[in-house]
Amino acid sequence: MKRPDRRSRARTSSALIPIAFVALLMAACTRRGETIVVGSKNFPEQALLGEIVAQQIEARTHLRVERRFYLAGSFICQQALLAGRIDTYVEYTGTALTAILHDPIESDPATVFAQVKQEYRRRFNFEVMPSLGFNNTFAIVIRGQEARRLNVHTLTQAVPYARQWRAGFGYEFMERPDGYPGMAKAYGLHFASARILDLGLLYRALLDNQVDVVAGNSTDGLLAARDLTILQDDKHYFPPYEAVPIVREDTLGRYPEVRDAISELAGEISDPEMQKMNYAVAAQGRDLSEVARGFLHDKGLDGKQ
Amino acid sequence: MSQLAKAQPGDDVIIEFCRAGYRLGGGATLLNNVNFSVRRGETLVLLGRSGAGKTTALRLINRLVDPSEGEVFVERRRTVDWDPIALRRHIGYVIQETGLFPHYTVEKNISLVPRLERWTDQQIRTRTQELLTLVGLDPAIFLKRYPHELSGGQRQRVGVARALAANPPILLMDEPFGALDPLTRAEIRAEFQTLQRQLGKAIVLVTHDTGEALLLGTRIALMEAGELKGLYSPQELLGSEEPVAAAYVDQLRALEKFDRGGGR
Amino acid sequence: MNQFLAQHGNEILEASLEHIWLVGATMLLAIAIGVPLGIVVARKPWLSKPVLGSANIAETIPSLALLGFLLPVPWLGARADRLTITALTLYALLPIIRNTAAGISGVDPAVREAARGMGMSGGQILLHVELPLSVSTILAGIRVATVLTVGIATIAAAVGAGGLGEFIFRGLAMVNDQLILAGAIPAALLALGADFLLGIMERVLRPVAPQHKPAQ
Repeated sequence: MKRPDRRSRARTSSALIPIAFVALLMAACTRRGETIVVGSKNFPEQALLGEIVAQQIEARTHLRVERRFYLAGSFICQQALLAGRIDTYVEYTGTALTAILHDPIESDPATVFAQVKQEYRRRFNFEVMPSLGFNNTFAIVIRGQEARRLNVHTLTQAVPYARQWRAGFGYEFMERPDGYPGMAKAYGLHFASARILDLGLLYRALLDNQVDVVAGNSTDGLLAARDLTILQDDKHYFPPYEAVPIVREDTLGRYPEVRDAISELAGEISDPEMQKMNYAVAAQGRDLSEVARGFLHDKGLDGKQ
Repeated sequence: MSQLAKAQPGDDVIIEFCRAGYRLGGGATLLNNVNFSVRRGETLVLLGRSGAGKTTALRLINRLVDPSEGEVFVERRRTVDWDPIALRRHIGYVIQETGLFPHYTVEKNISLVPRLERWTDQQIRTRTQELLTLVGLDPAIFLKRYPHELSGGQRQRVGVARALAANPPILLMDEPFGALDPLTRAEIRAEFQTLQRQLGKAIVLVTHDTGEALLLGTRIALMEAGELKGLYSPQELLGSEEPVAAAYVDQLRALEKFDRGGGR
Repeated sequence: MNQFLAQHGNEILEASLEHIWLVGATMLLAIAIGVPLGIVVARKPWLSKPVLGSANIAETIPSLALLGFLLPVPWLGARADRLTITALTLYALLPIIRNTAAGISGVDPAVREAARGMGMSGGQILLHVELPLSVSTILAGIRVATVLTVGIATIAAAVGAGGLGEFIFRGLAMVNDQLILAGAIPAALLALGADFLLGIMERVLRPVAPQHKPAQ
């Protein structure tokens, strides 16, 4: 009888489907070849840093580098690093301390770095490499003109004038305890008014005289390109957010040359240099990898003269 | 109840009901104080209308239900002392809807219990062909057919073959021919009569058809509202003056009147 | 386009494999839990309401919310893949339990009666009668669950699970259509492929007997 044969053949071949699936599943578990995956969070500065790290590894080692940029945030990057989907990304020490380790915030950069380094090794088997050289922390900014007129360069010096200033802050800075509320208490700073502004409009409002002081980030691109002054945090109130490359220990174990490559970047990027690169990419629209390549060349890190 | 109808002590009694009763959880009484016995080689027909308790009585034999009162004995052991699985494999069971496994061929359906009992492949093959022939189906055609490819009558024959596969000494049949059209029914009944003589098993058959009871039964147990109203041989039933028995016979006679082409 | 594929082809493949791993692990878990639960529900109908009710609640919670709920749970929330597979499994359970219960309850009572009467134990009836006759229905449930899982796994990239959803989120952040499509198209293909293949299995394993009137 033909029918049972066709049925049993069909049954047998349909059994291949789950078998093929399991084979595929096993393939998914195997590791890829000699590739390093560099991740980054989802704003231009992060992509720049990721690109710099990537190009540095490409220049100094024989390894292939894959880029996985614009991951949605610290949590996503941390998960990706834990799962081994990426081998490295650049984090900020203050964020690592509070958002990842859930430890209370500190102000001393050396303490924060040491704690993050120790905890990351203990809890995750991650290596925290030395800082790239800049501190992307909160920046209280006034017009350069005003700074010179009043001869005000630090937050303490600003206290007497603050009463007359209108302030513009982003939502986060207003709400975070280590933002405006904490700063006001630490310095005794009180402004005439404090409005919440969209982050993208902060500097424009400042330059247009709609507000007199804003809270931005110390590596914002516009800071390099306009006549703006950052008031120094002389009481060291704001937590440090030093940029540090985080690398999986087993990656470093397998490819020690990666450690050497990334170490060369330590301390190479100053605050103004980061601002300039951010400006080039965000405001001037220049190509990310070009800017990164330019930076490495200028520093003589790409081995070319 | 006549002398003939009662089983004599020392006879080969294989099934016995002693004051057996069955009550549902909710309180309804389906069986009450039922007493009868079945000998090897005889066919006891449980005759009654729907709801009379005949199916319940049948299911007490293979422990699909357990009695709430009294006892049921199979092979001189109380059913509750038997392992239910062992008991059921010892008994062939045929139901009205047949309940053939739709995903098994006729061959696999029939050989179910032998396969559970781990007969050898050769034994199974031989037995299956033997049984198909016995119930009047050509093995060459029917072995590899599926139930949905069979007619109602063919399915019921396979059902009987399946029940007989492991050669159990007891056969329980619950309105086995009820779902068939009258012509097929008559055909199969006639064949079954032949089979009865050949097999020599103890058969308990449930039906509401008086004609069937008279044709197939060695003895007939009349049941009504969960109680046993009387035990008769076919002759005794036909001649009985007891009201319940008479009612059944009258109903049969009413049909016969039509057969003879109208009134006398 | 070719250049894009050349550059990102490897990543797309990797992300696809990650996605398949998430879906596969989930389905294995969901089947291992769901089918037995479905059998239990079929055996004890009074359990139907609580069991199906709970599964239904899990299903009704929006997927992102469920992922969010599980985030702060210790051990579970620590790793994105644990978290994701847990949430995905909860989602996949309802169709599987429901279909398994329906399939097994739907077996012709006469067949069950005959099987019992012939001396098959409960386990034998399950293995040789009820499951084979329900396979097609159960597979239909698995198929629905699989397609659902492929979709929700895409969202799970939001909590760091990786997979094809990550391409989509990255593409959104960078306003890069190609990246978005690099995630969306393979994800769609994966869902369609799973649906198609499981549909074939379902059809092939359908029980022989049609439910209509038999031949005379």
